[in-house]
Amino acid sequence: MKTKRPIQALNEKARAIQSLADGENKSVRASQQGPPAMPVGCTTIFDTGWETNPRPTYPVGNCMSSAKDFHGCAGDCWWPAQVPDGLTNHEDFDKQCPNIARDWRVLKYD
Amino acid sequence: MEALHSWADHRVFAGPDESLILGVEDLSLFALSPQACQTLGRWRSSKFVDLNSVPASDYEVLEGLRDARILRPVPRQDETQPGQQPSPQPLKVGTVPLSTLVLEVAQDCNLNCTYCYAEGGTYGAAPCLLDVDKARAAARHLLEHCGDQRHVTLIFFGGEPLMNMPAIRAAVSEAQSYARELGKQVHFSVTTNGTLLDAEIVAFLHAHRVAVAVSMDGPPDIHDRNRPGKDGQGSYAEITSRLEMLLQDSPVPVAARVTLEPDQWHRLPEVYDHLIGLGFHEVGIAPVSPVSKALLPSIGEETLLMAGFSELARRFVEVAREGFVMPFSNILDLLGRLHIGQTRPVSCGAGLGYMAVDANGRFFPCHRLTGEMDFHAGGLADGIDHDRINISLASLNKGRDQHCSGCWARNLCAGGCHYENHLRENHLGLPRGSSCRVIRGWLELGLRTYAELRSDDAIEALGQRLSQRAQC
Repeated sequence: MKTKRPIQALNEKARAIQSLADGENKSVRASQQGPPAMPVGCTTIFDTGWETNPRPTYPVGNCMSSAKDFHGCAGDCWWPAQVPDGLTNHEDFDKQCPNIARDWRVLKYD
Repeated sequence: MEALHSWADHRVFAGPDESLILGVEDLSLFALSPQACQTLGRWRSSKFVDLNSVPASDYEVLEGLRDARILRPVPRQDETQPGQQPSPQPLKVGTVPLSTLVLEVAQDCNLNCTYCYAEGGTYGAAPCLLDVDKARAAARHLLEHCGDQRHVTLIFFGGEPLMNMPAIRAAVSEAQSYARELGKQVHFSVTTNGTLLDAEIVAFLHAHRVAVAVSMDGPPDIHDRNRPGKDGQGSYAEITSRLEMLLQDSPVPVAARVTLEPDQWHRLPEVYDHLIGLGFHEVGIAPVSPVSKALLPSIGEETLLMAGFSELARRFVEVAREGFVMPFSNILDLLGRLHIGQTRPVSCGAGLGYMAVDANGRFFPCHRLTGEMDFHAGGLADGIDHDRINISLASLNKGRDQHCSGCWARNLCAGGCHYENHLRENHLGLPRGSSCRVIRGWLELGLRTYAELRSDDAIEALGQRLSQRAQC
């Protein structure tokens, strides 16, 4: 058997797992040495919940930065992120949703 | 990055040179170099592995095992446990659209096979044929309950299904015209003993691209002993005289489906060769279900069964290295699942996307459970009774999860065939797990065969074909 590593992925599931680890290791290295190859700015997909929180902690099923965007980007702040539209549809979203991290799902915005 | 790690559930299959390691939860398969195997052996009994403090000589291997998710970070207290992350929801009966419906068009048979689980084709009732109206209604039921799926499958089964061509013709015609209306496509298949094939039937099967599986058990001495007619005479000659017209110009592959009794298991390769020699495009071999205690194998017979499968697997590798695919269904199906690492929350689609309708229009979770009244689940007039399926399968499988929880093969086997379990545990009173040894032996053979094919990339050419097969 031609083994390139001491542990060689054989089936497709194993390959996927190993390549995932390769990707993770690269980003760790990138943040540790030399000029960082970290992404800058906002996510390119404006989809709340894209980076979901897998832990049973707030914000449940959402990401911290997205939860913060609800306040940071609402009202008179214009930003093309998917947040409650405080000018027209969700003027009083603070009342509907007093704790963004916990209650964001009740807003039913699209 | 977290340094403290613990072992995920895994299984090592030792080899003379390199070994294999299977991630039990993911069904990820890796080859271990001898050095990796030794390092693993040194650390395997440690409950925790701190990657920051392992000797430099072991680091590369342990890091590789972490990348393979065999070693997983120990979560902080406020995190969920790895391996206990939200597991996929179990499939719920009634929420999965129907994709395959088996029509027991004839609960009657012209043969008298020794091992028949359907009591001579009747499933324990008076001989009965499905009437054409019910056949049409069943075809419509499939298409009305298949959700968004564009492709569905209608299977004709029995008894001997060719005893009821009017029902088959009616179902095919209804399914095709209704599918056209809905923009869907229906695939047909039939499992027959082959004795009633004639030019007219063959023309019909070819015209509608019906995939035919012929039950044949090998050379005349085996076949005629297993599959005599009602008069006691063997059926081999009867079938082979009709086989040529079926195989000739068939638009879809014609398969032989073999059932062997334990004292015939040592002849597996010979049976395979014989049937390929008759011109079948594919051969699948099943060890008989123990419909009576007399058909339970001895340990020695089980060993011979595995030796036969091993020999066929060895030849499969040999042929693959030459760039060909050996049409042995058993190994093709297993390699397909291993190739993609397909885990299963349930052992099969019975009662989920797969149902059977008996000749009286009653639903059962699968063709093999037909006639077992504990599993009767509604009828064509009122629809499938999902509650009944839930109750009967839950009763059969109560505690099985726990029984299987320590087994490395649990995500491949998922508890095994419902019917086989019902037969062994409820009819024969055998303890749970009486077929596990054979199943694990077979799965291990598949893993080792897969790894061998990988060793010189012989599987690359096979890969896509295998993936497609596993997703059928």
